[in-house]
Amino acid sequence: MAIEEFSLIVNGKKRKVRAGPDEPLLWILRDNLNLTGTKFGCGVGECGACTVIIDGLARRSCQVLVKYVSSGQEIITIEGIGTVNNLSPLQQAFIEHTAFCCGFCTPGMIMTATALLTINPNPSQDEIKDALNHNLCRCGSYLNILEAIESVVKKTALKGQ
Amino acid sequence: MSRRKFLETLGHSYLLYAFRFTPGAGTPTIHQDPSRDDTQDFECMSISPDIDFRDWIVFDENNNVTIFTGRTELGQGLKTVLTAIVTQGLEIPMERLTVMMGDTDLCPDDGPTTGSCATREVGWGFWLACMEIRNDMILRAARLSGLSAEEFEFRKGGISHKKNPGMIIKPTELSSGDVVLMTVNPHDVSPQGKEYTDLGLYNVNAKEIVTGTLKYVGDIKLPGMLYADWLTPPYYPQATSLVSADLEEARAIPGIKTVDVRRGRVVAISSRYQDVIKALNAAKTKWSRPKRPKELRVEEEIRERANLVEIKEQNGDVDMGLSNSFKTVSETYITHYTTWAQIETDTALAKSENSGNEVTVWASCQYPHKVKNLIARYLNISESSIHVVGMPVGGGFGGKIVSPVSQEAADLSRMVGAPVKLMYSRKNQYQLRGSYKMACVIDLTTGVATDGRILARKVDIYQDKGNGSTGTYAIPNVLTRLYQSRWPFARAISRGTSFVQTCFATESHVDMVAAAIGFDPFVFRRNNVRFPAFINLIDTCAEMIGYESNLPYPDEGIGTAICNHGGKQLGAVSAEVAVDRSTGNIKVKKICGAFDIGTVINRNTATVGIRGAIIWGLGYALSEKVKLDGHGCYTEYFSEYRIPRFSDIPPIEIVFLDNYNPGSPRGCGEMPMIPTIGAIANAVYKAIGVRFYSTPITPDRVREALQRT
Repeated sequence: MAIEEFSLIVNGKKRKVRAGPDEPLLWILRDNLNLTGTKFGCGVGECGACTVIIDGLARRSCQVLVKYVSSGQEIITIEGIGTVNNLSPLQQAFIEHTAFCCGFCTPGMIMTATALLTINPNPSQDEIKDALNHNLCRCGSYLNILEAIESVVKKTALKGQ
Repeated sequence: MSRRKFLETLGHSYLLYAFRFTPGAGTPTIHQDPSRDDTQDFECMSISPDIDFRDWIVFDENNNVTIFTGRTELGQGLKTVLTAIVTQGLEIPMERLTVMMGDTDLCPDDGPTTGSCATREVGWGFWLACMEIRNDMILRAARLSGLSAEEFEFRKGGISHKKNPGMIIKPTELSSGDVVLMTVNPHDVSPQGKEYTDLGLYNVNAKEIVTGTLKYVGDIKLPGMLYADWLTPPYYPQATSLVSADLEEARAIPGIKTVDVRRGRVVAISSRYQDVIKALNAAKTKWSRPKRPKELRVEEEIRERANLVEIKEQNGDVDMGLSNSFKTVSETYITHYTTWAQIETDTALAKSENSGNEVTVWASCQYPHKVKNLIARYLNISESSIHVVGMPVGGGFGGKIVSPVSQEAADLSRMVGAPVKLMYSRKNQYQLRGSYKMACVIDLTTGVATDGRILARKVDIYQDKGNGSTGTYAIPNVLTRLYQSRWPFARAISRGTSFVQTCFATESHVDMVAAAIGFDPFVFRRNNVRFPAFINLIDTCAEMIGYESNLPYPDEGIGTAICNHGGKQLGAVSAEVAVDRSTGNIKVKKICGAFDIGTVINRNTATVGIRGAIIWGLGYALSEKVKLDGHGCYTEYFSEYRIPRFSDIPPIEIVFLDNYNPGSPRGCGEMPMIPTIGAIANAVYKAIGVRFYSTPITPDRVREALQRT
């Protein structure tokens, strides 16, 4: 497979990467760009640990080939959501609700939830569960994740009033 | 950096306290039968209580404190627990504390991170040590000053004179490179000094976790590093061998570094993980068929091959008790094979230097010191040339106590002369370990008097290590026997090992015995428990869930079960379910748990962990089942092995009680899972009147059972 140069927009920055066109975005992010917050869990799009946001939608980066996201698509990874000193409200809520144990699925959970709240800032509990139903957490931190997301929804609703 | 070097960097200005437990009281360690190479089978591991338990607390000149433990962070919150304990015990801010975990060069071998005992033993050990340190420093200040110890007090990580509390004497001013050895007794529940208060710390790794910056093994990158993975054999790895391998096509994959046979398996190595997968897909191999039949008759084979290994419990005269009973109930329960299914697959990064004579392995494991020992054996080199760095684990659950991937990565790194990151595919995670939480067969016979007292119980447990009757119920005549047999694959250590299967059986059985004499199971259970603490737990659960013997809605029911986890923790769980007769779906509507686990060190991490354990119980009860037969395991995907997901999760309410053996933390990582399974099974029985004698209770089975009735 020929190595080509691809131009990606990741977390608002243009990045040039050299890769085979059929390489999944997951490995480009992790290996070429050292954005290791996006995790490998299954490689077939079932667990959600590799979730990133592409043009506003939560996508499984292990199922997205690099050649399909190199024509101006906006890719956001967990590193683009917030930093240790500048956390997003959702990240802050995950901390305050201890919405994880081992933390391995957490970036994927936050990405899916971030995409959801961008599209629908006031989801019902069922809508949250639906949106996250394909993000797996083996530690079983689901209720804490739900409480964290709901706390952000509530705050947003209060601000809107 | 070794411990010695670390101390050298501190010059002579440090004060080091090392503590161990009173002999016999410490964490059991795992000893392995060296004649057996199967590192995954709990049969060849035995537990010994005599480890030389020694953890360290070091004060340096800058008034910072570093603590060392060989255990690892699995998500159970151990680092948070240790931080809470030591910052409070020594009255220092978090910024002054460094917690070193799981590095074999720096940290002591203080046992495996398993068995729900890290908080109870390492955590409580540090608390007791902190209390001793406070006293020791006061005595040092008195000795140095010639004043009375009464005049000093311990404050803010140092010593102050009571009349001049503003001036704190630093620990290093009381010492010049002293090493103080202490022995603490973990059963000391009210040490002199302070009382522990949970201040509600957030998980100390939280900021890194939510920003994706916490480094797991897979996230480390070294110059020249290569990825590797194994081809999955079509059969149990222990039961097959490679007959032939045509690797031409695989080696022709561009970018591939090596495709080869190594130790009887096919490995592919490349700088791109994707190329590794492609090469493995292109490898053509033939494997020997396992020598046993493909069909696996689970119950029959378990019985046929069984050997009695232990009389676990024997009190009174069980046969006499049964014959004197008003009614006896005999039943058999069976559980299915399950697996860990951590989201982080087994991963290790190894770097060999000095012609392969020095090896560093970054490991995702629960017992770095054991992994170091196993790597040495695997490579046949000295343990002193191996350094294992235990990293945060992306889910362990018993599956990463040892870490075969660590020794394999070390071997491959020596083979190719470059750093190798060996990362199991999801398929390998299910199949390559060849190790499963065992199916068990449990025969029970219980005799009961007209007044609802249990008079006798005989339990035969096949395959589980077994936890029988006496931990939970007061029964005068008891016989519990354990049987084991060799099996085509290994038995895994997995969350709740030795308790899960038997508790499902005994707690289902208790409800059937109650039904046989027309007792409400809640009343019956309550009347027969062994410890009064259980009555509190059952009553608390009943109140939380709003227990009613019969719910006003058709096909809904509430069930309860209890558990005694190794004499340390007691728990009760109640579950409310609704069964859909047309689909067979069991909707768990609510779960309530009451847990007597001693002092709660950190409510935040304990709560999420307990909810998670309950969710493990829910998966075990209703959906988790590995596809396997006499030749191999065929599960490849999460879609084929259904772990609980958002749509399955009911509201879960929990409370902590501390009546049974109060005063110190007793652990909680596994126990809440154990009674959850029986509680759900009992709720299903209450809802539709069908008793399920095996797990998991899937919709297909519910539909079939309802059609039969």
